[in-house]
Amino acid sequence: MRFTCPIPTPKRITMAFTLGLSALLLAGGLFIVMRVQNKTLENTAIQDGNRLLYQAYSGKSPQSLDLAGFFILNTIPGSNSKLFNFNMISGWDHAKPAEKLSGKLNTLSETSKDKRFQALLRKAHDAGAETLSTGRYYARFESRPGKPPVLIFSIRTSPNQVSVVFMPLKKRAPSAPWLMLFISLLATIAVVFFVSNRYAPIYGVLTFACLAGLTISAYRMNPSGPFYSFLTEGFRGFGKGYFVAGWLGLSAITFALAITWFTGHASRFFRALREFRLAYTYIFPAMIGMMVLVLIPFAAGLALGFFNHCRGEFQFVGFSNFIDILSGGGSSLTNPLNFWFTLGVTILWTSVNVFLHVSIGLGIALILKDPLLKMKGIYRVLLIIPWAMPNYITALMWKGMFQQQYGAINILLDNIGIGSISWFSSFWPAFMANVITNTWLGFPFMMVVSLGALQSIPTSLYEAAEVDGASKWQQFKTITLPLLRPALFPAIVLGSIWTFNMFNVIYLVSGGEPGGATDILITEAYQWAFKRGERYGLAAAYATLIFVILYLYTKATNKITRAAEDM
Amino acid sequence: MNSHSSIRMFLTHLFLIVFTILTLYPVMLVVRKSLSPGDNFSRSLNPVPKELTLKHYKDVIGSRDSTGRSLFGRQFLNSLVVSLITTIMGLFLASTAAYSFSRFRFAGREIGLTMFLVVQMFPATLIMIPLYVILDRLGLLNSMTGLVLVYSTTAIPFCVWMLKGYFDTIPKELEEAAWIDGATRFSMFWRVVLPLSRPALAVTALFSFMTAWNEYILAETFLNEETAYTLPVMLQHYVGSHSTSWGKFAAGSVIVSVPIMVLFYVLQKHLVGGLTAGGVKG
Repeated sequence: MRFTCPIPTPKRITMAFTLGLSALLLAGGLFIVMRVQNKTLENTAIQDGNRLLYQAYSGKSPQSLDLAGFFILNTIPGSNSKLFNFNMISGWDHAKPAEKLSGKLNTLSETSKDKRFQALLRKAHDAGAETLSTGRYYARFESRPGKPPVLIFSIRTSPNQVSVVFMPLKKRAPSAPWLMLFISLLATIAVVFFVSNRYAPIYGVLTFACLAGLTISAYRMNPSGPFYSFLTEGFRGFGKGYFVAGWLGLSAITFALAITWFTGHASRFFRALREFRLAYTYIFPAMIGMMVLVLIPFAAGLALGFFNHCRGEFQFVGFSNFIDILSGGGSSLTNPLNFWFTLGVTILWTSVNVFLHVSIGLGIALILKDPLLKMKGIYRVLLIIPWAMPNYITALMWKGMFQQQYGAINILLDNIGIGSISWFSSFWPAFMANVITNTWLGFPFMMVVSLGALQSIPTSLYEAAEVDGASKWQQFKTITLPLLRPALFPAIVLGSIWTFNMFNVIYLVSGGEPGGATDILITEAYQWAFKRGERYGLAAAYATLIFVILYLYTKATNKITRAAEDM
Repeated sequence: MNSHSSIRMFLTHLFLIVFTILTLYPVMLVVRKSLSPGDNFSRSLNPVPKELTLKHYKDVIGSRDSTGRSLFGRQFLNSLVVSLITTIMGLFLASTAAYSFSRFRFAGREIGLTMFLVVQMFPATLIMIPLYVILDRLGLLNSMTGLVLVYSTTAIPFCVWMLKGYFDTIPKELEEAAWIDGATRFSMFWRVVLPLSRPALAVTALFSFMTAWNEYILAETFLNEETAYTLPVMLQHYVGSHSTSWGKFAAGSVIVSVPIMVLFYVLQKHLVGGLTAGGVKG
């Protein structure tokens, strides 16, 4: 019957997908190379501009930088006019910058007959004016077709004075194409993953070679050479140089391969597509939603880890966020802002919680299992309440319980004679408060899971053990635990992932107090993004690390489960 | 029954009763707070309120914004509409996708399934910033549409795995029979598979609803107008850094939790099976 025997995935289809994917990757890789190159050049330019400005003001001569111009914008006191007079320096003297700063006043038209340069100058002037009126710092990268791009950089140096620098870019290629190599590697992995048949290595090597080759050729190019305009102008300079030729050639080869395949096996492909059409139709709506709102943000989040965010501007910084985090950001191991400290707290937090959840949950389940016990249902229903409550309410409720003055726990401690504790001013009490809250809301899940699993153990096993004279403990060890494991293990994995990411409890109960010490990784990431100066890049890097840790964890547990099943 | 085992029974009951009371004590305190006057907790540990008042409930339900429109009604409606639409969208998207994963073997199936599994592990913060930017670009911040989109897509991976697990247990022979009788693929799905998987659908629906109804941090980040708040954000603001209206918080908590807890009880038995079976197995 047609649909009972599922049609095996033809290798050819996978090949076609791979070819298409390679083409897409090539195009995408090329595009990214260009964008990144642009961005890197811009960043170096801005750094150069900063240095230049600093040098000019500190009286040191700006070495090794070619200036197109440097001027200072002055307001005319008492004038509302947005048109400013400015000192134009023609012929910058590297040896004596200070002298030239007070140079002759020029008008725009006198400076240069080159219209493009004039336009540039006007832009610089406007930037200076805007900086003066809004008090903002201004840095911009102006690309000019066929010529090195120019940096316009202005900064307000006193209440009515603005310094403006504009200069051609140093012709410098980015230091190393490691980011692109990294992307190539990812793409290769994706291809290998996707093909997943015996041809996978070949496709992987091909993809990597193509992408890496493209990358290196892009980076080795001299920005002032014939390819330069292509890189800075995007597709406007299309058609120039070996680079484009090479790229076109590679694409052509890819497409040729794809077409060869299509003509040879088109009928089979279309038949399979018809067969799968239904499957794809069913899956399409969910896929679209996932793409737009999960995968794209996810990819963007991953990418964001390579950028630094400052007042709405993102700057590419490479791996420095990750290096910053993994090296502890210059703080000692006992500093709460250190990644390893937070990781330690997170692991401690997860393991303590999961241990308590399982032991309490299993303990109660064992008690409730007793066949002679009456009113089991009532206990069960009542004990599930903590799980049923929305966990943010639980967290806020416990925050109230731990309140210093009116919190029930402190009152209780007072009555016993221990005296009240300031829960959130030192690490261990705050950590304990979090743990207590989370244990409270987490144990019912383990209890229910254990109860279900216990019920599935046939009582005849215990009867047999009883006959053989096994003690209760022996029964527990040899019957209950091994038979519980298949049900309990997934629950523990799931529970530990939940706990690892238990944002609400940490954020709402201790809020990371004291001083961020009780923050776990996920709240730490949130703090960086939304509480400590919008460091989105750093937060994204944190989130990426969390993801990597969890991914490895589930991989490892999957291995363990499989090994256990094989035994 | 001999005296030895009846003593043991008694002790077991004693332990269970004490444990249950300890567990429920915080909840009792919240209920007491919601019924007794004053903004702060009193310094008494007795869970039975001394004077009864419904003032906090009235305050919460009667809360109004500066123009005099009912704030609670608005926020309740926000939560309800967001949760319901999320449920419907989540069910629709997840059931079709799960059916496809369960019944067809197609190119990209494995990678799709793995993706749905991996996506479940994403910390929300990882996608929060990009999501914020996307919603901002689309003009969907402070709107219910934005929240619905985000919630239903984040709920989908779990629902897909859960439903796929259930669909796998439905024998294919039933569909074959329908096929012989001349049913189309869609009517097999609609009239054979879906009716048979009512329990799983119910659990998935409950899960989507609960995700949306209980979600706090995304709502807190994406919404910044009082009239757009959902109930969790409102509740948090009662005891946030600027105010400590524990009475209102308690009353609000009771109002918000009771419906969801009822729902939870109706369906919790299925939820456990789904969580452990569908959620983890790769």
